[in-house]
Amino acid sequence: MSQIWSIGGGKGGTGKSFIAGNLGILLAKQGYKTLLIDVDFGAANLHTIIGISKPERSISDFLSRRFGTLDEAVVPTAIPNLYLISGAMNNLDIANLTHQQKMKLLRNIARLSYDYILLDIGAGTSFNTIDYFMVADSGIFVTTPEPTSIENVYRFIRSAYFRKIHHVLKAHDFRTLAEEAERQNCNATVSNPEILLHVIKELDPGKGDIVEKALRTLDFKLILNQLRKQDNPNIGELICKIIERHLALKMSFIGNISYDDHVHNSVCKKLPFVDLYPYTRTALDLRECCKNHLSIYTELQKNEKQRSNHQA
Amino acid sequence: MKLYQEKNHYELLEIHSDVAPTEIRQAYKILFDLYQDESIATYSFFSEKERKEILSSLEKAYLTLIDPESRKAYDRNRIELGGLEGEERKHSNHKKNPSSIYDFKKTHLQGLVTIRNPEELKHRASQNPVIQNILDQDTITGRDIKKIRTELKITLEEIAEATKVRIEMLRIIEEDNQELFLPMVYMTGFLKSYARYLQLDENAILSGFIKHINKGKCP
Repeated sequence: MSQIWSIGGGKGGTGKSFIAGNLGILLAKQGYKTLLIDVDFGAANLHTIIGISKPERSISDFLSRRFGTLDEAVVPTAIPNLYLISGAMNNLDIANLTHQQKMKLLRNIARLSYDYILLDIGAGTSFNTIDYFMVADSGIFVTTPEPTSIENVYRFIRSAYFRKIHHVLKAHDFRTLAEEAERQNCNATVSNPEILLHVIKELDPGKGDIVEKALRTLDFKLILNQLRKQDNPNIGELICKIIERHLALKMSFIGNISYDDHVHNSVCKKLPFVDLYPYTRTALDLRECCKNHLSIYTELQKNEKQRSNHQA
Repeated sequence: MKLYQEKNHYELLEIHSDVAPTEIRQAYKILFDLYQDESIATYSFFSEKERKEILSSLEKAYLTLIDPESRKAYDRNRIELGGLEGEERKHSNHKKNPSSIYDFKKTHLQGLVTIRNPEELKHRASQNPVIQNILDQDTITGRDIKKIRTELKITLEEIAEATKVRIEMLRIIEEDNQELFLPMVYMTGFLKSYARYLQLDENAILSGFIKHINKGKCP
């Protein structure tokens, strides 16, 4: 089974594709078979970040049924072990997938066999983006230390939170319960997810527990990108603290990535940053983030293994 | 997970119920920074009203717990309500006083200096016939002063330490070694300190001593 990481974060221009591309390269260099999937349909440019100016095949070939399997849409890259499914389109409708198309895509992504699959998620908080984000084993938010960008992260997390509750409630036929909760706090539900969970728990503690458990499965990470010298390096930790204090969610901080003008150069040259400037502070930060995320993950798996051993 | 409105003061500040005041202050400071007006991390997460509410409940928790009296009352109240188990907890106060690296006050010498009770000393002097005899004399020599001191069983070192007069000077006085005397203005000062320490009438001693010196000069 492949590990799926999704990289999103609400606001555009925060460096989601940049981080997805470079993390992919770093993973591939460590010998992991890695696949990058650009699901930012309509504004796809992950291929440029890793140095492919015009991919021969793309995801639209699969969605338009020119290819039978998603595997056929995979393009190899100049970097060994790294593969790409581009979201660049020749089809105008692709930015607005239907629900069926989306579900088909998600099913097929889950079937691929790689060590790591990185999903580069587009901006915005539409259901499509949120669903791509939530399908992953690990959801990584990318934000810059600016109010606008942090605002969008919160908005995205809230949407994901509601989507999850909605999902669980429907699956268990809890629709009436949710409606009841919404009726009780008609204004508060949108602005304060904390209250929604609370109301559900009050109305039906058993079902509230199921919802809470489902929310606990959400495992979010945070990367703070474009940190300039004058910025407070603790902002990332603070954001995670707020999320954990006020939403029943897990959120761990992975690391800061320093701002560097060389990123601009590497994008303009259409060459991967970690290859072109491997000794910059920013490249170091990227490697550190990659390492941190991997270690968080292996620790988690170890714990799970121990737990299953205990149960056995 | 509890809503913040339902949390007790300790939960709100994310501290144990037996922490020291310093930790309470530290916890409050961190959380205040998190929710304050200019905090970029909470921007847009709360409405202005929510943020103000959280800040004021944090402040209330802090002010209640930082004051030992109100904290005790709060703890007692919680025990009665069953929120806190067991008897009243005693919070350990790990307050440490600053210790200076360099001992300016030289407090380590305190062991050498015997703390004298002046009344007791006076009493002993008045009860001692030898001392009274000396004090009744018209002139007082250095040797007499030494005798008073030995009668009172006080070492010269102790007097030197207490009066800050160099011990050689005291010895010169006691031995009547007039060749080594500093100008009289100094010597009278030294003798006054000496006499004061022994709880004697410093003026009587001084005039007796000066008479003795003058006698030596013009026989």
